[in-house]
Amino acid sequence: MNPVFQGLITIGIGVGGIFLYFVASNALLDKVLFPAKGKNASRNINRANTVRPWLFLAPTIIALSLYLVYPVIGSFYRSLFNRSGDEFVAFSNYTTMFASSEFRTAFWNNVLWALVVPSVSTFLGLLIAQLTDKLRWGNIAKSLIFMPMAISFVGASLIWKFVYAIDPELGIINAIRVNMFGLDPMDVLQVAFWNNLFLMVILIWVQTGFAMVILSAALRGIPEETIEAAIIDGANPFQIFFKIQVPQITNTIIVVFTTTTILVLKVFDIVYAMTGGNFNTQILPSYMMQFMFRDDGRATAVAIVIMLIVTPVMIQNIRQARAEMR
Amino acid sequence: MTRTITGVSAIALITVAGSAFAQDLIVPQGEGDFAWAALEEFAANYDFTGETLNVTGATTGDDAQRYRNLYAYFEQATGATVEYSGSESFEQDIVIASQAGGLPDVALFPQPGLAKDLAAQGALVPVAEGMTNFMVDNYAAGESWKQLATFPGADGNEDVFGLFFGTDVKSLVWYVPEQFEEAGYDIPETQEELMALSQQIVEDGGTPWCIGLGSGAATGWPATDWVEDMMLRTASLEDYDRWVSNDLPFNDPIVVNAIEQYGMYALTEGFADGGPEAAATTDFRDSPDGLFDLPPKCYMHKQASFIPIFFPEGVEAGTDVEFFYFPPFEANSDLGRPVLGSGGLASVTNDRPITTAFMEFLGTPIAHELMMTQGQFLSPHVDANLDIYTSDVQRALGEILTTATSFRFDGSDLMPGEIGTNAFWTGMVDYTTGADAQSVADAIQSRWNEIK
Repeated sequence: MNPVFQGLITIGIGVGGIFLYFVASNALLDKVLFPAKGKNASRNINRANTVRPWLFLAPTIIALSLYLVYPVIGSFYRSLFNRSGDEFVAFSNYTTMFASSEFRTAFWNNVLWALVVPSVSTFLGLLIAQLTDKLRWGNIAKSLIFMPMAISFVGASLIWKFVYAIDPELGIINAIRVNMFGLDPMDVLQVAFWNNLFLMVILIWVQTGFAMVILSAALRGIPEETIEAAIIDGANPFQIFFKIQVPQITNTIIVVFTTTTILVLKVFDIVYAMTGGNFNTQILPSYMMQFMFRDDGRATAVAIVIMLIVTPVMIQNIRQARAEMR
Repeated sequence: MTRTITGVSAIALITVAGSAFAQDLIVPQGEGDFAWAALEEFAANYDFTGETLNVTGATTGDDAQRYRNLYAYFEQATGATVEYSGSESFEQDIVIASQAGGLPDVALFPQPGLAKDLAAQGALVPVAEGMTNFMVDNYAAGESWKQLATFPGADGNEDVFGLFFGTDVKSLVWYVPEQFEEAGYDIPETQEELMALSQQIVEDGGTPWCIGLGSGAATGWPATDWVEDMMLRTASLEDYDRWVSNDLPFNDPIVVNAIEQYGMYALTEGFADGGPEAAATTDFRDSPDGLFDLPPKCYMHKQASFIPIFFPEGVEAGTDVEFFYFPPFEANSDLGRPVLGSGGLASVTNDRPITTAFMEFLGTPIAHELMMTQGQFLSPHVDANLDIYTSDVQRALGEILTTATSFRFDGSDLMPGEIGTNAFWTGMVDYTTGADAQSVADAIQSRWNEIK
């Protein structure tokens, strides 16, 4: 069957199904299980209302357990078995992994990614949001900076491959090196340690727009009076920014920071497309890809490690979001 | 009721639109010196009108079009529709499909090593009863081709899991004859002469080699071909086979020596265009471009027989560019003139009558000829007419293949996936960018120990 047709049918079944579920389950609750009439009418209404939230939550809870909770438990279970999955090896996948130097490289690179990318992109986002706020062409600048958000990571990597190209006729870095300083062209992606930063630049380029948009909205939400009062009190622009504006949007900054951190911990496309993990640029997700579907025991072990790293950040993110709701 | 009718007519419309896309045949049936009888006989035996066959493979773009042109004849003969989809990440996709469902009907593996893994998991179907000895009977050096396609299945029993279709010869060095004539260089007959020629070119102010290992996530594979060719020229065929099966450890001095022989070309100052650093990341598809620059960025490029696809537009293989056989060492003359090659393996992933017929179709001489006539396809099929090859270059390559005395398959394609398509690749990148051969070989061997 034509895929378009299949897609339309799927959407139809999905949307119709959800609609039917709510109508039918509510009808079942109100008409059959706890009818709001007869001698127990008021008790039944109360009971129905206690059950109703679970009715609404049930599809989500089922979907989440099926697609999130079960895979986590399943992955952990799989990580305790050998390559072919038929022999229980306890934690030996983990011990081999921690002993491997490539894993340690990937781990520390990832730590570096998690520190640098969120801080730089949040900082730049905040700076740009503030600087463009009062400018006439600020919106144009913002749109330009936001645009990379629409590019896939692999697409962004291909663009930056040209920036980093060795051929000085293609790569701007080598064009500058050769034409302005008369140096030999070099492959910047092979320069140990620094190549990690060159790869991070790509993600920062993509993510700064996201930070900028959210923070810009937050800055606009600050009550004007607080700023006016500060001006009357004789505060200079820096004091206004750091002592009046930033403290009022701290929560938003933290949310942007943690969201970016979670993203960083799962991005593998950039490393995969740019260096394939060569030249000591390996990070955990692309390290995992090496084992995936070949040695699933090792691959799931890496996946569990990544999950353990992400969890605290995620908890922090959820707490922050909840605090903001109150 | 009206609704159903619209639905049905919509489906009918889509089907009509689908068949309207059937391609024109590249060679009108009955013309030229092709084995048309084989096609007619095949067409008389099978009718799959209305059925669809899904084929996946690693070839994309123009290369995939050549295959689609071939499938058009299968469609015409049987009335079936062949849906081919090619993917650059075929190696990952097919493994994911084997675990998550969604396998095609037939898969074209660029590497038999991967097919071996999948056969062991039970994802592949052995060839039909009558086909097990097909390659022995119809291919030059057929017994070794059959061996290469024989793996243990999920039940542990050995079976033939497919048919080799499309072959590449790897032991080739490409050069531009005009440049060689102008500079007065001769085609080297031995490794010693090749090394002397490389030094000569450096002394004359040129750069002898263009080397490019870049290939996205597969970066490094071209260097594995170098090492395999060096293995065949410095060690016996038995040692080569033991190396591939890891009975000879990867860090054995014999292997380390082969790696260092590659290093003599890649790492020697002034030998590789841009230096080893550039070689490690230059895309293998762009690398040969240097041959055609004026003045040439390099004089020689070692790459398999498929590389002319990636030559700049307008370059004619056979006139503008030629190849010579990557020569053996005079010092090791007892090893003969070995040829390294590779081939794609067509395997059935879904047992249906139409897939069996499709495999039989790929075995007909006419299928090979229809690919040969489009260029860039070499066949060991003894019944395929050599006159069909489009150029003398192709014919010469085909002859290397059909007359090879010692032919060995690309070793990295036969090693387990973790080694042949990962550790070996990254190891060669490390070596090319400065790591020492022994430690690279040690690392690959320790990775191999992990999966034993």
